[in-house]
Amino acid sequence: MTYYMYSNTQEVTPYERMMGSLNGEKTDRVPVHFYPRWAALEYIGATFKQTWDDPDLYVKGQILAQERFQYDCVIDYDMMGPVEEAIGAKLKYPENDVPQIAEPLIKTKEDMKKGKWKLDPRKDGNMPKVLYVVRRLKEELIKRGRGTQHVPIMTWGSCPSRTVACLTGFKEWFLIVARDPDWAVELMELALDGWLQMVIAAWEAGADCVWVNDPVSSRDCISRDHYEKLTQPYERKFIEAIRRETGMNITMHPCGNWHDRLDLVYQNQADCYFLGPMDIELCTQKAVETNEKGLSRIKALNGGIGAATPDTTDGQTKCSYATTMKRGKPAEIEENGRVVIEAVENADLRCILGTNCWDVKGSSYANRDAMVYAARKYGQYQ
Amino acid sequence: MGILGDIKNAIFDGEENKIVELVKKALDEGQTASEIQDKGLVEGLRATGDAFERGEKFIPEMLLSSEAMKRAMVILKPLLVEGAGGGFGKAVLATVEGDVHDIGLELVGTMLETAGFEVRNMGADVPTEDIVEAVKEDKPHIVGLSALLSNTMDIMPDVIEALAVAGLRDSVKVMVGGAPVKQDFADEIGADGWAYDAASAVPKAKELRAQLSD
Repeated sequence: MTYYMYSNTQEVTPYERMMGSLNGEKTDRVPVHFYPRWAALEYIGATFKQTWDDPDLYVKGQILAQERFQYDCVIDYDMMGPVEEAIGAKLKYPENDVPQIAEPLIKTKEDMKKGKWKLDPRKDGNMPKVLYVVRRLKEELIKRGRGTQHVPIMTWGSCPSRTVACLTGFKEWFLIVARDPDWAVELMELALDGWLQMVIAAWEAGADCVWVNDPVSSRDCISRDHYEKLTQPYERKFIEAIRRETGMNITMHPCGNWHDRLDLVYQNQADCYFLGPMDIELCTQKAVETNEKGLSRIKALNGGIGAATPDTTDGQTKCSYATTMKRGKPAEIEENGRVVIEAVENADLRCILGTNCWDVKGSSYANRDAMVYAARKYGQYQ
Repeated sequence: MGILGDIKNAIFDGEENKIVELVKKALDEGQTASEIQDKGLVEGLRATGDAFERGEKFIPEMLLSSEAMKRAMVILKPLLVEGAGGGFGKAVLATVEGDVHDIGLELVGTMLETAGFEVRNMGADVPTEDIVEAVKEDKPHIVGLSALLSNTMDIMPDVIEALAVAGLRDSVKVMVGGAPVKQDFADEIGADGWAYDAASAVPKAKELRAQLSD
């Protein structure tokens, strides 16, 4: 297999490589996907706010950075905000970060009436801007691929627990979980549809695959019991609805440390799990076990290399390598990549090499290159 | 077990409604505010923190304990501040940008106030430049930085660097804390101190304050 500098001259395209892995198939080699928000922004020298104000600039960043770094997937704005804002939350837009909730919408049960829960992504708030980016990415990728889309577009959806936590404030959400579980359920039931409609609309606009995220149900946050009884049913409901409505491959990001509940999160029926800072061998072993029991349908595992921190937040669990994209050296990233690829591929799951959370601001170009190099060096299927 | 044991257990169990009654009862029985804080509330909080570390308690349960502590402190704080004499020094506290968790920060703030520090608690998700601005305005002795998320703790060295760039680093002692933050991380990023929990943050802050000349 010969590789050239630019992806649109490779024999296997990033599109084929990434989508193949999400379907459990081997193509030429392991793909790389590290949710390249900051890689793209830093490459074109733009702030997030600049690209939010100018969606075409965002598209340009995604396209050019992919060509520069040669990873295998691009992303849309990929952030919390448009749906929550359309529901009624007030956002603040920092100069160089994703939007954040300025003030929680829901403080009491009465406040639930303030929310606009039935949304039209083509009309409401800034949701159409996200759809515009997906459409423009699609057009541009097809144009640059001389008629063939050579890189897939991944969109994003927020699990209901996360959406509600954004609407109530994280602290209040956890207090609701402790004091009033019935209200927690009622809120998640209401919150599910907004992001579902957003994901469906993104798929209609041209997204090829989707990832969903829950950062509030890890063992860093809530008990296994609360997870199983409260938030997991809504993760699964969300994922199953996306599959039913769009048929897209779904990746789930259990953000943080989920070691004690991998068996549960894997039953959410995602095709791929984008792993947080966890033990890759344990995650792989549990994935094989739940697949063998017929409880899950995991085709691929994504992640494995520290984005900002190498360790789990419990401070006890081993990680493959104490290195990160931000602080490690390219040789360490490459070696970390080798360990991750071998752990996952030896279990006959597809490895999608990446970071253990979003690519972080200030990661060196050399380390991003090293990750792709590791996939080329250690991830060949022939 | 006694009333202080009951208070400790009420904090551990997050009994928000029961704690006020217990604290009043302890005062009626002749316990000092300081004894109630140290042997009841702090012990309860410490046991809660230990259970959190062992993976037996989680954020919702920690928050209930924290809320119970806050209710108790409404009664005790006036008595404690009176006893502490105040004027120990100034502290600016913040959870770094991108991190919305402030449970630990609030507890540290409460504990420092009752120990005699004048505290400006900036809350969660505070931009680095705002922290630098607050240090310029307030001229504190202690800057306390918190992070609960492993991917936001990397903001802490940025804050320390920003303080240095602003020419403020030598005038303050920087303490760091939060679940993923440990002593080796504090050393690596050039922080002056690290505290395991809210209770141990107080002696550490006092120790660091004593190292400053004014």
